[in-house]
Amino acid sequence: MKLRTIATNTFGIFLRDKLLIIFGALFLCVILLMMTPLLTLRARTAASNLEEMQAYVLELVSAIMFMVSGAGSLLAAWAAADAVATEMKSGTILAVMARPVKRWEFLLGKYLGVMILMACYVTMMLGLSYLLAWMGGQRVQSASWMLLAYPMVRYAIYAAIAMAVTTVAHPVLSWAFTMLLGVAAMLVVPGQDRIANFALRWLSTGLYYVLPSTEFLSEDRFLTIKHATLHQTGWVEHLTTLAYGLDYALVVLLMAMWSFHYRSLKRD
Amino acid sequence: MSAPAVEFQQVTKTYRKWLGGQQVAALTNVSFSVAAGEVCAFLGPNGAGKTTSISILMGFLYADWGHIRVLGFQPGDVRAKRRIGFVPENFAFYKHLNAEKLLGFHARLGEVAEDKTIGLIRDLIQKVGLNGYEKLKIGRYSRGMVQRLGIAQSLLGDPELLVLDEPTSGLDPSGRKEVRDLILTLKAAGKTIFLSSHLLSEVEQICDQAVIIDRGRVVRAGTMKSLLETGDQVEIYTTQLPEELEVVLREWGAVIERGLQGVRIIIGSERKREVAERLWLAGSDVLRLNPVKGSLEDLYMKLVGKGEVA
Repeated sequence: MKLRTIATNTFGIFLRDKLLIIFGALFLCVILLMMTPLLTLRARTAASNLEEMQAYVLELVSAIMFMVSGAGSLLAAWAAADAVATEMKSGTILAVMARPVKRWEFLLGKYLGVMILMACYVTMMLGLSYLLAWMGGQRVQSASWMLLAYPMVRYAIYAAIAMAVTTVAHPVLSWAFTMLLGVAAMLVVPGQDRIANFALRWLSTGLYYVLPSTEFLSEDRFLTIKHATLHQTGWVEHLTTLAYGLDYALVVLLMAMWSFHYRSLKRD
Repeated sequence: MSAPAVEFQQVTKTYRKWLGGQQVAALTNVSFSVAAGEVCAFLGPNGAGKTTSISILMGFLYADWGHIRVLGFQPGDVRAKRRIGFVPENFAFYKHLNAEKLLGFHARLGEVAEDKTIGLIRDLIQKVGLNGYEKLKIGRYSRGMVQRLGIAQSLLGDPELLVLDEPTSGLDPSGRKEVRDLILTLKAAGKTIFLSSHLLSEVEQICDQAVIIDRGRVVRAGTMKSLLETGDQVEIYTTQLPEELEVVLREWGAVIERGLQGVRIIIGSERKREVAERLWLAGSDVLRLNPVKGSLEDLYMKLVGKGEVA
């Protein structure tokens, strides 16, 4: 009950946030900007080049969704940092924490509020990807749950990291730190080229295991799936990848709760 | 004897900056207690440590040292918080909510039974004089209205202990009077009230005891009666004062005031017996004999205004 109350109130605050209105406008802009090239591709599609055009449209949709999904990571980190920081800055936290609410309950309620927001975002993303593919005269072949679950888990990780850092640092620092971690996680993914320097290779491998490997958690790879390659990922791989992401988010969230427990609650 | 509602023993708190920066001693060996059912004023100048003490009491801050009990529990314990109502200094609110929704939000957090919530909210809104404004967004409220709403939310769940940090700040004189009357009603209902305020005349009227703090140390604590008694002077009310006795009394340094009700004589307490006997012998009735009471403001200025620390 208390968690639900805090979570829905947090979501209510987000709905009135100016930054989110900008995000909504961004969505609209993406649709409007992509209408012309996608409709052109649709017009050029014929029976002879069907396979080629399908791949082309899906690549384009995937590229757009990669950007939208990246913006979602920024949003998740910002929302998580802001959810706690705004309460501290305004002093509303004092009246809330005077109620029979445990500190971990407050933080978890805030986190759930962020996740409700991100669930809305992911649903809109799914709708956008279907809409863009339709504009290009194609269908998204992969299952909807993949396009919902993967980004949600990824956002859960980013939100947890940002929330954990906000318990000890300024929200802007926390947001920037989370984004840096995200970029670093992408840079240390083992590639074809082996790093010559032993120390650098060791550091890169270490970071690869410590940082959230969002490469696995990207829904982007499922957007390019064509009908012929539909069943390329098995259930075991899905489950282990999602379990890895959820476990990462949970561990970071527990760290955030621990840190928040010892934090001074006062108007910043 | 029941356990105190609030108990501070040797509480010390120092604010430290990171990386070995400046340290500020906010509280040093602060000790006091508030018995159940009492109204206790917590007084002191700005920066004396009042809000720090209240924050520790509510579990928002952790003390470095000392023993603290609130309704028999550690500060921040939800079992204690279920029985506490709190009005923070400059009550902050969610601007997008209206009074009804904000109180509903706090009622759900305060575990108020759902079937009682609507009636309770309506009563509280009426009690603090916000009826007619319950649907208005709080962002459009005046500061006084916000403060009233803060008081209303503190009363949700019928708390045993009320912790009020400057509850009358931002209120006009009539609003202040309403809050004072409300506190008196709560006092009559047996609630324990821990009240931080700068309005000494109001505190003097409604509080049973006071704790005065300055620069993080308790400089005086006790019942209001004991704090205000100067101890060295008495006032004697009599029907009449013969001229020859008046001359003697003036020689002894007495202050004599004549009024419609009779004569008021203020004199050192070492002479009270002698003066009373002389008045009887002169045929005057001694109507009353009381220790002279100072005002809380005088005491406060004496302790804090000059920076004295006991």
